[in-house]
Amino acid sequence: MDDYKFLFKVVLVGNAGVGKTCLVRRFTQGLFPPGQGATIGVDFMIKTVDVDNEKVKLQIWDTAGQERFRSITQSYYRSAHALILVYDISCQPTFDCLPDWLREIEEYASSKVLRVLVGNKIDREDREIPTHVGEEFAERHNMYFLETSAKEAENVEKLFMQIAEDLMKVSRFLCDN
Amino acid sequence: MLSRGVKQLGRLRPCSQGILPSFACRGFASPTLPELTKDRYPHVKRGEFAKLDQNHLKFFRDLLGENRVLNDPSDCEIYNVDWNRNVRGYSDCVLKPKTTQEVSQILSFCNEHRLAVSPQGGNTGLVGGSVPVFDEIVLSLSLMNNIISVDDTSGILVCEGGCVLEYLDEQLANHGLMMPLDLGAKGSCQIGGNVSTNAGGLRLLRYGNLQGNVLGIEAVKANGEILDCLSALKKDNTGFHLKHLFIGSEGALGVVTKVAIQCPAKPQAVNLAFLGVKSFDNILTTFRRAKRELGEILSSFEMIDEQSIGAVMGHLKVKSPIDNHPFYVLFETQGSNDAHDQEKIHRFLENIMGDGTVLDGTVTNEPSKMRAIWDLRERIAEAFLHDGYVFKYDITLPLEKFYSIVDVMRERLGSDVLRCCGYGHIGDGNIHFTVTTKEFSKDILKRIEPFVYEFTSELKGSISAEHGIGFRKPQYIHYSKSDAAIHLMKELKKLMDPKGILNPYKVLP
Ligand SMILES: Cc1cc2nc3c(=O)[nH]c(=O)nc-3n(C[C@H](O)[C@H](O)[C@H](O)COP(=O)(O)OP(=O)(O)OC[C@H]3O[C@@H](n4cnc5c(N)ncnc54)[C@H](O)[C@@H]3O)c2cc1C
Ligand SMILES: Nc1nc2c(ncn2[C@@H]2O[C@H](COP(=O)(O)OP(=O)(O)OP(=O)(O)O)[C@@H](O)[C@H]2O)c(=O)[nH]1
Ligand SMILES: [Mg+2]
Repeated sequence: MDDYKFLFKVVLVGNAGVGKTCLVRRFTQGLFPPGQGATIGVDFMIKTVDVDNEKVKLQIWDTAGQERFRSITQSYYRSAHALILVYDISCQPTFDCLPDWLREIEEYASSKVLRVLVGNKIDREDREIPTHVGEEFAERHNMYFLETSAKEAENVEKLFMQIAEDLMKVSRFLCDN
Repeated sequence: MLSRGVKQLGRLRPCSQGILPSFACRGFASPTLPELTKDRYPHVKRGEFAKLDQNHLKFFRDLLGENRVLNDPSDCEIYNVDWNRNVRGYSDCVLKPKTTQEVSQILSFCNEHRLAVSPQGGNTGLVGGSVPVFDEIVLSLSLMNNIISVDDTSGILVCEGGCVLEYLDEQLANHGLMMPLDLGAKGSCQIGGNVSTNAGGLRLLRYGNLQGNVLGIEAVKANGEILDCLSALKKDNTGFHLKHLFIGSEGALGVVTKVAIQCPAKPQAVNLAFLGVKSFDNILTTFRRAKRELGEILSSFEMIDEQSIGAVMGHLKVKSPIDNHPFYVLFETQGSNDAHDQEKIHRFLENIMGDGTVLDGTVTNEPSKMRAIWDLRERIAEAFLHDGYVFKYDITLPLEKFYSIVDVMRERLGSDVLRCCGYGHIGDGNIHFTVTTKEFSKDILKRIEPFVYEFTSELKGSISAEHGIGFRKPQYIHYSKSDAAIHLMKELKKLMDPKGILNPYKVLP
């Protein structure tokens, strides 16, 4: 057994092509993979981070956006501590699908799960969804909100670190009480 | 005799090319032929067998017709060289019977005239057993490739010995069934060859070995006598179980012409996971836990080390779906309800990642991705060939010592070899320990053998887990079998093939 105090399961969902895999690879490997292919099934990896001098393990599950490749559909939500719901700020349909994703989350995820809405690809010139629209959506559905670029490494570290810190706070709070 | 639900199939021909032992289609960097076996192993002397002459050829041509008697050296070449390109005979005669009767007539003639015979299936054997050592006649079963019956209810398949494994599996799929064995050579190897080598393969862990799955066998003895033990009954305890004489006897006791085999239902749900781990111990932990948490659906559990996967990725350009790690685990589940299976797998993965045993991985039930992952495992043997010469050892070791052979040998061989690595069937304690070099080297061979066998024997392992003894290992069989056992084997051989025409120089010392 490794020495760590906290282990959190973080699951990324959202339409195909919004950049889930790129966000994960940027965070875990520090790179933007050229020609990243569609995820088939589910990929998972461990990344250890330091928060307040404590080792926190993030177990990250990168799911397939394409319906036909979603091999594991419901069970991956169940024990998630955090869910990252991603859309592409340059692609309206990926935003329009958010309510569908939320319905699935409501149905399968724990009610205590930390939910984060992420608008990815802010490096792109052809933005279709203004920041405030995303923000409002997140607020309405009680989610955190962040805009990122996996390509330019913008806010990616922050996204995962924020989640780690928050989850740690919650679990400390639960421990203390 | 056939029960209800049996469908008679017409004459079907497999056309699967798979990994046919043709050099051209394997795309070798250097298609050079290996040294002749008689030159590389000069201590092996040709037996007192007749030399093929025109009269013999005339008999064969009259029996089989011109086309099914190959006599041209270039036509015979691929039948003389083994898959690993370790050995090469110089036979000028390949016979291709289509019926048991023809096999019987050929053997009875060869027995009478003291002509040595090397039975051959798909020629994917890895111990030099399937090709002539000198000029033995090659008896190729390739044209005996008909399915005789498939019983949907009992799941019993009856077919001829030359049916290609993958072809059988494809045909069974139409009946909702599958073959109880699967291995990397499936596109070329034949059921008769599988039975003769008692092949294990990738799912032995779940479906057991051929000793259990083969219900009946029709074989032809060295003197041409046809032995009908083709019972298609699940239970049949009448007298000695003669079929077992042919399972794993590598063509030394008879030629397998027909097989009745018990086939399981094709699973509704298949999932495949590919994991990266830090150490061999982590593989064992993963295995222990998989057995506990996935027990009833686990159908395969395989390991690959970094150098082995490196060969596939480097030579064959197969991509790994995950990052680099010192070791990889591939496990498959087969079940009847996808949702249930995924739930179990998911929980298992969560746990195993939670304690740091597994670092990275992917899981899928998408056929194309599963295929791509299986390629990483199944094409390892093929990839090694591109290094040059392959020293391959197929041994069983106690699980906790499974990988120790690689560590020990790395120390012994140092940087004088290209690769020293291992992969294999963790579920069966069976490692394929491999050393590759640019070309064959007697010096390297001496540093590996007999050490690898002594090492295995000391750990009470088996020096041949599933590939057999063939030509390469008779002198080492004593490391795994007692004198009394070897003696009885020799007696059996004498009884069944008094003139020793079937696969001489092989199996027995
Ligand atoms: C890529 C690859 C992967 C492999 N993976 C596995 C694996 O996972 N598990 C495993 O157990 N093996 C494996 N093998 C080796 C395995 O033994 C053979 O692939 C297979 O079982 C042999 O079948 P074959 O038809 O090619 O027989 P051949 O190679 O032609 O013959 C093998 C032996 O059986 C005899 N023989 C063949 N047909 C008959 C017959 N009809 N009657 C009597 N004797 C016969 C031959 O004389 C010879 O001694 C692998 C081989 C390759 C190339
Ligand atoms: N410009 C830009 N392109 C990005 C960014 N992130 C991802 N992409 C591109 O978007 C495409 C899809 O990225 P993926 O990470 O594979 O998307 P995904 O959400 O994992 O898709 P699925 O696996 O099919 O669900 C790729 O061509 C990436 O190069 C980003 O931040 N900026
Ligand atoms: Mg993806």
